[in-house]
Amino acid sequence: MTDVNTKGLEPPDEPEAPTNRPPSMERIRTWLSRPYARGIVILSLIIGVLLLPMAWIVLIPMNVTGAPASEIMVNIEQTVFVFTLVSVPIVSFVYAVLVYSLIKWRGHKGDSIPEDKSPAIRTNTIGVVLWTAVSAGLAFFLVVWGLIELAQITSNSYGTVTADQQPGGEQSIIVNVTGQQWVWTFEYPQHDGVTTDVLYLPKDRAVYFNVTSKDVIHNFWLVELGVKIDANPGAITQTGVTPTKVGSFNLRCAELCGMHHAYMETEVEVMEIESFTSLMREMGGGKTA
Amino acid sequence: MSAMSTGAPVFGTDVPQPVQYGPPGGMMRRLNLVTAVVLGVGCAAIAGFVIDAVVPSTASTATFAPVAPDLIYLGMLAGWVIGFMAGIGAFVGPIRWFMGRDLTHLDAEYMAGKDLGWRRYFKFTTDHKVVGLQYLVVTMFLLGLGGLLAMLIRTELGVTWAEVFSPSFYNSMIGTHGIAMILAMILAVMGPIANFIMPMMIGARDMAFPRLNALSLWLVVVAAVCLVSTLFTGGIQDGWSVYQPLASQGPPAMLGYQMTIIVFAISTGVASINLIVTAVTMRAKGMTWTRTPILVYGVIAAALMGLYAFPFFQYAQIMALTDRIWDTSFFNPLQGGSVWLYENLFWLLGHPEVYVILIPGTAVLFEIMPVFLRKPLFSFNFAVAGIIGVVALSGLVWAHHMYMTGWAPSTNYPFMLSTELISIPVGFLVLVVIGTMWRGLVWTRLPVLAVYAVIFNKMIGGVTGIYLSDVPADQYFHGSVFVVAHFHYMLMGAALFAAMAGLAFYFPKMTGRVLDERTASIGFWTAFVGFQVTFMAMFVAGLQGMPRRVLQFDSLFNAPNQIATVGAYIIGIGMLIFAGAVVYSWSSGDRAPANPFGSKSLEWQTPTPVPLENFAVLPVISERPYTYGVPDPYENVSLNSERKPDAQRVGGSP
Repeated sequence: MTDVNTKGLEPPDEPEAPTNRPPSMERIRTWLSRPYARGIVILSLIIGVLLLPMAWIVLIPMNVTGAPASEIMVNIEQTVFVFTLVSVPIVSFVYAVLVYSLIKWRGHKGDSIPEDKSPAIRTNTIGVVLWTAVSAGLAFFLVVWGLIELAQITSNSYGTVTADQQPGGEQSIIVNVTGQQWVWTFEYPQHDGVTTDVLYLPKDRAVYFNVTSKDVIHNFWLVELGVKIDANPGAITQTGVTPTKVGSFNLRCAELCGMHHAYMETEVEVMEIESFTSLMREMGGGKTA
Repeated sequence: MSAMSTGAPVFGTDVPQPVQYGPPGGMMRRLNLVTAVVLGVGCAAIAGFVIDAVVPSTASTATFAPVAPDLIYLGMLAGWVIGFMAGIGAFVGPIRWFMGRDLTHLDAEYMAGKDLGWRRYFKFTTDHKVVGLQYLVVTMFLLGLGGLLAMLIRTELGVTWAEVFSPSFYNSMIGTHGIAMILAMILAVMGPIANFIMPMMIGARDMAFPRLNALSLWLVVVAAVCLVSTLFTGGIQDGWSVYQPLASQGPPAMLGYQMTIIVFAISTGVASINLIVTAVTMRAKGMTWTRTPILVYGVIAAALMGLYAFPFFQYAQIMALTDRIWDTSFFNPLQGGSVWLYENLFWLLGHPEVYVILIPGTAVLFEIMPVFLRKPLFSFNFAVAGIIGVVALSGLVWAHHMYMTGWAPSTNYPFMLSTELISIPVGFLVLVVIGTMWRGLVWTRLPVLAVYAVIFNKMIGGVTGIYLSDVPADQYFHGSVFVVAHFHYMLMGAALFAAMAGLAFYFPKMTGRVLDERTASIGFWTAFVGFQVTFMAMFVAGLQGMPRRVLQFDSLFNAPNQIATVGAYIIGIGMLIFAGAVVYSWSSGDRAPANPFGSKSLEWQTPTPVPLENFAVLPVISERPYTYGVPDPYENVSLNSERKPDAQRVGGSP
């Protein structure tokens, strides 16, 4: 068994330990002075630094068709960013142990059964308590962050907004969205029921969607606006958004709805309120919102 | 042994024994896979012809769809299921029991496959080891089917400049790939390893209900054939979740899907009861709960979850079937049904089932690590607590699949809470892995190296799962390719690779042959590399906003899809190499020693090949499992010591 690596496993030959308990900093220093401990800590830090840019990298493909076009999408990207940051420490520690184990704790090779040389560690109170506390703390943070963000995007959609921004208010637009195999239609009840197959939205106005379906379940996904809700047959689901950017965006169906599901997409045109009103008038919607 | 029939003394009392009529086995001697297929196909044909003759071809449903194809196909499916099960001998036992002719000991031995040689693998054999190997073959068949479809799907998505398959065939490929893989992954550990290894691990001679064990296996075979038949009757075009009412528009193949699930759920129920009763009541003397290996806990947990989760799915499919055939309206919104009812019933299975797949896979890793690190499992209690925590929470998280359905927006808050809480027990399981690795000298063999691959994937799957558990982020990711990449990291990267590790580990015991580890490793690591390429590219496509289950897409998504397809072919090559190594070693590998890895677990103490009743003398357990390793040199020493000796060692080592 000459190829077995026993580094760091010989018992330290030292006098009987004194009974008084050293301060915690001293204990951490002692632990860190073990040959493997420092290695794993350093490796964790290296992997952590390497993984940290992931928080920004994940946002690049999300913004590939342009920066967020609504507050909701800003919140979503914030959440993804923060969650990535929060998970970096745990992931880098676990990966550090994997890598360190493969490099430094590599033992026996071949078919013969190795001798028992690993330490019989059945448990470690400090490690277990620390892990539980950290993972519970992180879970708690995720829950709190998620609840706050959810409350925020809910109020962005339809909630605590000023009276004129509420459904039916002066400053709001209602769109009745209907999905059917495999097209979307949009009806503007405040504009004499003008019906279009491209979603026209005014910038900086609260828009409310009443979403339903004529046949099967579709999913109404305004990609850059961060809006998503199922269009169910026999039910009306509601959501809302306030577009904050003028431009042309994507609407895709995100629920398998049959043969041509892949083609069930259309454009979202966000424009200034003046252009929106005149466009509605052109299409026959006499009244203005 | 005719003395058996006259009575045997038990506790000094003469107990009447069943009488032996004729040669042992009776009717079972004539029944095997051939009679089963003949009878199944015959019954299906008869049912088909009778219904075709009886139902007028002009009959139509309320929605003007023709009735005859549905009824004929349903009749054929029912005929196939009943005929096959009769032909394999599933009803012989109950019939004999009703006739008051219990099995004698000789009958039971015949049914366990004594002296039958290779023929026992093609019969209603009750021996748990035979059933385990039969499960292994069925699982590999389903994985092969699902894998082939995956290659075709990726081909379609990679060829961005043309349409390779018709949209309806593409849709049926994704549906069939999904359900075949889900069924295969449920079986991957719970079939071969739980049936073959677990009874030996607890020192039992067989499962608690050997005939139910055989029943559960042959029900899976029947269900698998029903699933394959859907490919020829229009295909499952609605994804593996077959949401209503889209499914009600589907071709007759939907009935094949429904029959598959109904039969598979019966099998799961039977197998779950059997596994739980075996693990709870048949452990060897002295095997208290603290002395029970962790795989047994994993199997009990998965069986418990399967037991409560599968009925939801089964009821949902029975209701969908009556909706289709008899115009009930459970899910038809036009007649007052609810599409959300189906989604709820579906995900009440759908999420626990993820843990049915992951928990036994993780438990197999826990069995592998102590052997190859020569070190006890770290914090056995936390492993058990993690498993219990996952089981407890598994039934409370299903609606996180329904955040965006509009079913009940206010429940998004509690379901987000319960979903994020589940990261704590899952974290315990990661802690056990890390703690067991800690300072253990790795014996670098494929099973333990696979553990590293699994944990690597599991962390990525876990972190991306955090995004999806969060409602605001899910508002972007739901229904996108990101979700697909996430659950492939969990179900394939973690669970399938864990099952492959388990197969590599238990291969010598199960087949009696040595696995060609070099070739298997080449296959495994090729698949691992291809896996990262494929699903990392799919994460990117998902982040860019590509919806799932589409066959054509914005040119924006071309690059990641082409990369993913290249990766998928690499996975395919790797898996073929691995499967080739398994098949080759199984047929012509070297004879394996009884305990090639020096494991101290009970299952490895049996001879190889394992004799009919496993143990000549039932073992008695007197210590905890995983008694590997030497006393920890640092224990009780270093924390209170001077730094000097340690500091010297730092200087001495790089």
